[in-house]
Amino acid sequence: MSSHNESILREPLVTGKKITYAQVTDDVLLPVENKPNKAWWIGFIVAVCGAMLWVISVGYTFWTGIGAWGLNKTVGWAWDITDFVWWVGIGHAGTLISAVLLLFRQNWRNSINRSAEAMTIFAVICAATYVVAHMGRPWLAYWIFPLPNQYGSLWVNFNSPLVWDAFAISTYFTVSLVFWYVGLLPDISSVRDRATGLKKKVYSTLSFGWNGSVKTWQRFEIVSLVLAGISTPLVLSVHTIVSMDFATSVIPGWHTTIFPPYFVAGAIFSGFAMVQTLLLILRKVMNFENYITMFHIESMNKIIMVTGSIVGIAYLTELFIAWYSGSEYEMYAFANRVAGPYAWAYWAMMTCNVISPQLFWFKKIRTSIPISWVLSIVVNIGMWFERFVIIVTSLHRDYLPSSWAMFYPTWVDVGIFIGSIGLFFTLFLLFIRFLPSIAMAEVKLLLKSASLQQKTKLVQEGAFPEEQVQYFRDSLTKYDSVSEEDINALRKK
Amino acid sequence: MDSNKKYWKGLEELNQTPAFVQSSKGEFSESIPVEDVLNEEGLSTKTPRRDFLKVLGFGLGAVSLAACQNTPVHKAVPYLIKPEEVTPGVPNYYASSFNGQSILVRTREGRPILVEANPNSVGLTQGTESATVASVLDLYDMTNKLQNPQINGRDVEWAKLDARVIEALNKSVQAGKRVAIVSRTINSPTSLAAIAEFTNKYPGTLHVQLDPISYSGIRAANEASFGQAVVPSYKFEQALVVLSVGADFLGTWLDGEEHTQDYIKNRNYKSLEAGKMSRHIQFETGLSMTGTNADVRIAIKPSEEAAVLISLYNEITGSSLAGGIQQANAATAIKLAAQELLKNRGQAVVVAGANDVHIQTLTNAINAAIGAYGTTIDLVNYSKKYQGSESEFAALLGMANAGQIGTAILWNSNPVYDYYDSAAVKQALSKIDFTLSFSDRADETASELKAIAPASNFLESWGDESSKVGYYTIVQPTINPVFNTRQAEVSLLNWAGNNTDIYTYVRNIWENSILAGSSKTWTDILQTGFEFKGNATAGAASFAGNVNAAASAATTAAQAIKAGDDFELSLYQPANIRDGRYANNAYLQELPDPVSKVTWDNYVALNPKDAERLGLGEKSTATIKAGELEIELPVLAQPGQALGTASVALGYGRTKVGKAGNNVGVNVFPFAQVNAGIIRFANKVSISKASRIYELAQTQTHHTIEGRNIIRETTFAKFLQNPASEAGRFSDDHKTYDLWNKYEQPGHKWVMAIDLNACTGCGACIVACNVENNIPVVGRDEVRRRREMHWLRIDRYYTIEENGQGYTKEDDIANLSSYENVSVVHQPMMCQHCSHAPCETVCPVLATVHSSEGLNHMAYNRCFGTRYCANNCPYKVRRFNWFNYWNDSRFDNYLNNEFTQLVLNPDVTTRSRGVMEKCSMCIQRIQAGKLQAKVEGRKVQDGEIQMACSSACSANAMIFGDANDPNSEVSKALRSERIYYVLEEINVQPNIGYMTKVRNSFEA
Repeated sequence: MSSHNESILREPLVTGKKITYAQVTDDVLLPVENKPNKAWWIGFIVAVCGAMLWVISVGYTFWTGIGAWGLNKTVGWAWDITDFVWWVGIGHAGTLISAVLLLFRQNWRNSINRSAEAMTIFAVICAATYVVAHMGRPWLAYWIFPLPNQYGSLWVNFNSPLVWDAFAISTYFTVSLVFWYVGLLPDISSVRDRATGLKKKVYSTLSFGWNGSVKTWQRFEIVSLVLAGISTPLVLSVHTIVSMDFATSVIPGWHTTIFPPYFVAGAIFSGFAMVQTLLLILRKVMNFENYITMFHIESMNKIIMVTGSIVGIAYLTELFIAWYSGSEYEMYAFANRVAGPYAWAYWAMMTCNVISPQLFWFKKIRTSIPISWVLSIVVNIGMWFERFVIIVTSLHRDYLPSSWAMFYPTWVDVGIFIGSIGLFFTLFLLFIRFLPSIAMAEVKLLLKSASLQQKTKLVQEGAFPEEQVQYFRDSLTKYDSVSEEDINALRKK
Repeated sequence: MDSNKKYWKGLEELNQTPAFVQSSKGEFSESIPVEDVLNEEGLSTKTPRRDFLKVLGFGLGAVSLAACQNTPVHKAVPYLIKPEEVTPGVPNYYASSFNGQSILVRTREGRPILVEANPNSVGLTQGTESATVASVLDLYDMTNKLQNPQINGRDVEWAKLDARVIEALNKSVQAGKRVAIVSRTINSPTSLAAIAEFTNKYPGTLHVQLDPISYSGIRAANEASFGQAVVPSYKFEQALVVLSVGADFLGTWLDGEEHTQDYIKNRNYKSLEAGKMSRHIQFETGLSMTGTNADVRIAIKPSEEAAVLISLYNEITGSSLAGGIQQANAATAIKLAAQELLKNRGQAVVVAGANDVHIQTLTNAINAAIGAYGTTIDLVNYSKKYQGSESEFAALLGMANAGQIGTAILWNSNPVYDYYDSAAVKQALSKIDFTLSFSDRADETASELKAIAPASNFLESWGDESSKVGYYTIVQPTINPVFNTRQAEVSLLNWAGNNTDIYTYVRNIWENSILAGSSKTWTDILQTGFEFKGNATAGAASFAGNVNAAASAATTAAQAIKAGDDFELSLYQPANIRDGRYANNAYLQELPDPVSKVTWDNYVALNPKDAERLGLGEKSTATIKAGELEIELPVLAQPGQALGTASVALGYGRTKVGKAGNNVGVNVFPFAQVNAGIIRFANKVSISKASRIYELAQTQTHHTIEGRNIIRETTFAKFLQNPASEAGRFSDDHKTYDLWNKYEQPGHKWVMAIDLNACTGCGACIVACNVENNIPVVGRDEVRRRREMHWLRIDRYYTIEENGQGYTKEDDIANLSSYENVSVVHQPMMCQHCSHAPCETVCPVLATVHSSEGLNHMAYNRCFGTRYCANNCPYKVRRFNWFNYWNDSRFDNYLNNEFTQLVLNPDVTTRSRGVMEKCSMCIQRIQAGKLQAKVEGRKVQDGEIQMACSSACSANAMIFGDANDPNSEVSKALRSERIYYVLEEINVQPNIGYMTKVRNSFEA
């Protein structure tokens, strides 16, 4: 690594002075090794309340039947599948960051991949709960798998996208979990090495006997690469298959070939927004400003902008094709989205997903932490509406006007959704409390190449021409973790 | 090759050393150390770790298996002595009669579960009214019916009740007071005989008949016109021109379903193929079901009915009576109609709905002028169903108030609820010494009386009916009385001192009088169910009424309901619960109104423009005032309603009928007006906005087709030029491609053809489907949430007409100036059993699959309820069990008790919550039919298997059968040029063909 120096034109991925390997470990393990602070407790209590709401709402549904929801003879899916797709979509950013960016050697992923992957897993858990909860007879949920059974030749229907879904989601969850856990091994060992007593025992077990030998590291690298290879197609396949739940149907507004790419782009879009939402708080509360830098924030905002634009093009394409198809049902479905009784949802989606990410063309906005955070929330709201629009406004007015109906959610619908967010945050808060939320081992790799202190050292040694250094200095002004003094230190001594 | 050579593997074997012998024993087997383990020593040994795990694993498995819940065991008690005629699993049919129609009652293991028309009878022979099919539920209405006779609200023995009644009767006779029997029209020879015996015993007994919906105006008019105070029979099959002024003759006016059966014969596909179609012109206030079927419909106010008839009379006879219609639109229509009527002399009929002697006299005059008597109207074989007289009842109330009535017996009569002046009835009843009702429940009237002698249900009784002159139908019981009830005839005979058992009594009447001179025996009657001795040909009659007097009296009478700036109110009988007597029947309460699609409520129907003017929108309520009467009702904006008028359904607002019917809607009988002893269901009212928000439970909330080609309609003139006109079959000019393999259907292929020209929208099929297939009733709240479970629905679409154009798109309609002119189409919609069913491909667990006979099956047990199939159904005909309707206290008004569950059809599985269901094409009937054919070693014959809906359809609008049989009725129907398939273009290949709607409208 140190055989050659990274270009000074590249912005630093780790800032701060005197960042040593030990310092990284200390910083990252602060929440794991110490009693949680007040902020954590407040967040945790709120999240657990949410999770309790989820338990109550789902329990009520199981007790009385799906009738507890607002569904009807015309709209057979609404908040349930909206939430399901929303959560699955959110999960995608984690996989993209951990797998695709690894394959593309995007080093900046090193400090955000851990949390993003954790987010993926928790989001997929939330999504999976809907798969079971939306069933009329959830106690038979295992029938979705082709299990040998005593009923003779009963088998699943391999034509049904729901069966593909079951495979896609379970594969995705398994691979993500393994990838995440494998990545955690060196860090869990670090915790183990520093812990005592029971904690040491627990973490020893969890670390699968990691000993830090070269062979271990070598195998670790290979496994990571293999898993990245397995995960990469999943980034595309999972949401493609989710989109086929709709695309293979005959319902106008669902029956569209554009859905797979459109859904994948939307998934990455919403996933990055959720990563942004989480990390902006995490870096502040956990003092991770030196590891999750403005460069990361800005990069993610750029991805949000690009995927948001793709999604926007998809929306416009849909409208165009609906008109171009000449199919009156198709045309009506889209006219109804734009101007029907649920037009407010359509325009909420359009505003949140298409217009708001365009603000990121402005550097001021994409490097502003408060605005980024607000926009990330806006995008998530927009993506929820996108699924709502696709599902409910397509179903509620399909072919025969006699069956047209409106959908009104009940408290149970709302409770399960808010509850699932509570469940998600409960899991996430437990994660940052018990596991290192930044991949320490991988961040340490960056210290000798992409850290500000390394670059400062090289500048001071006069390794770069002055105009390049000036460019570098200019790029640092946006960093909230870099002081004026740090920038001034970038002079040849 | 015999050889004794022996091969050995080694010297050990050759020598058979003891060591070798020992080892060779265990060469291929390892002995299980059972003995070692089970002996004393083995049992005391310490369990090794691996064994422990094995035992633990086995134990855990065994315990979990043992802990699996047992299916609850329901013990069936076998017959100790098996009745000869009952074979478990095989239905028995009994001929009986309901509302004058000869019916067949299907019983299973002694339980009546379904009523169907008797196809070999006279009158209505193919299909029934919705109420007739639903009537089985009333038998099992256990929670609301009385289980014992009552005196002063306390259960007593029959002996005690009889003693008390006889004492009261004798006291009345001794005191010189009269005994009164108040009933609905009774035409049963047995009942009349019982009343005669009773009257003999207690001389001076008055029998007063009172029908809540009265036709006394028709009887009075016929008395004046022809000297016959009767309600004639109408022969719509003879009529090529039908003109109705406010008569819902296909629905609730007289014998609606029988009229439908006859009327459709000149309009259905067979008639069209013969190039014949009748023309139907309707003048009416509210949009009635009949109005929706008319070729020409003109909205008029109730006060204009007389004027329409005067104008028509003038046009037809060339006279110039004063008081004709002013409205230009109506006047033009009348002119054209008059020409038509004259052109079709002897093949035309005019009917008027108003119960008004003058209007009916005018109608008689017109009918006489167009030669209807003896052809389309039959005064000889007149109807005996409506003989009630309000004036006699009013006289009775006067006598009671004067203290002249000692005992009153109410039989099938509930005047406290359904008489316009409820207070007068209550007051009169309180002046009578002893009052008793035969009601099966403590209804509004019975609960005011001293005693109730609950009568048995008709399915538990012996009896008969005679709905027309010379037509007699038997009522035979299909089950023993479930509770301690006694049929009214038995009570009357008992009090008259005649203790003959009812079976013998009925049999004697039949054998001695009805069957006298007939070749039929009593046994024949029990098997065939009826005897017809009437005249097959209608008799002519000459009009002798005074038209001039009638016209001027009708004009004067119209002033009483002419409202000026206020609203003219028209009260009508709803198609489902009728005059309120079926209010506790959950099937009927949930049967949507054929036009408005509202369930579980009545409402005030206003023209949308009027509603807008009054500031009434969706979910509004309005206050309706007439004099001191004031009620609040939800508002329904009804296209087709005449401007300045309001329509409200009678029969709602019952308070003591039972869990299902109590406090559903508002009673509007008090708004009726009595004019010269004849009740008329019209009034003038003022309407204003009320503050309450109230949502009506409608099964359809979008009312137009939005320009889509799911309904295809043409005119008769175009049809004559090209029978395929407007059918626009997609496959004719498109080539389709399939993703899926085509499957052979070598045996049967069950399909259906639906004639949109025949379907009137009455909804009898819906109820029949409910009863046959155990479809849950969900109640008003769930219908509001759009969760009704009906497998079969009738979609009703409006086209709003203005300036000679029809509008079906919401946006266009919003800008129209009037919503008076509307044309309507009814489209029965159920599972289309698509050959490329989109539901089948998406079900993850193959719970819905296709059969080799072309049916789309639903395996309830396999369904785990993802609802994907329902989402992907383009027809939205799949129904999801949102709750456990059988066992959930929220659905108490229906099946949530073990008695009412006896109505369930044992051939059809009941569905648990979380399971999808839908039309199965009555697969249980198909199986039964195939089985029957197999047992008899023959092929299934066409028409032998009928779906519940098609067998309940009096218009024969649904033709079911085997498409693989080229000569079947359905194959022929499907070859009609009018056939099209709904949503054919998405290539789901539906198997239910629809025939274009043809309108015989006036050519512009």
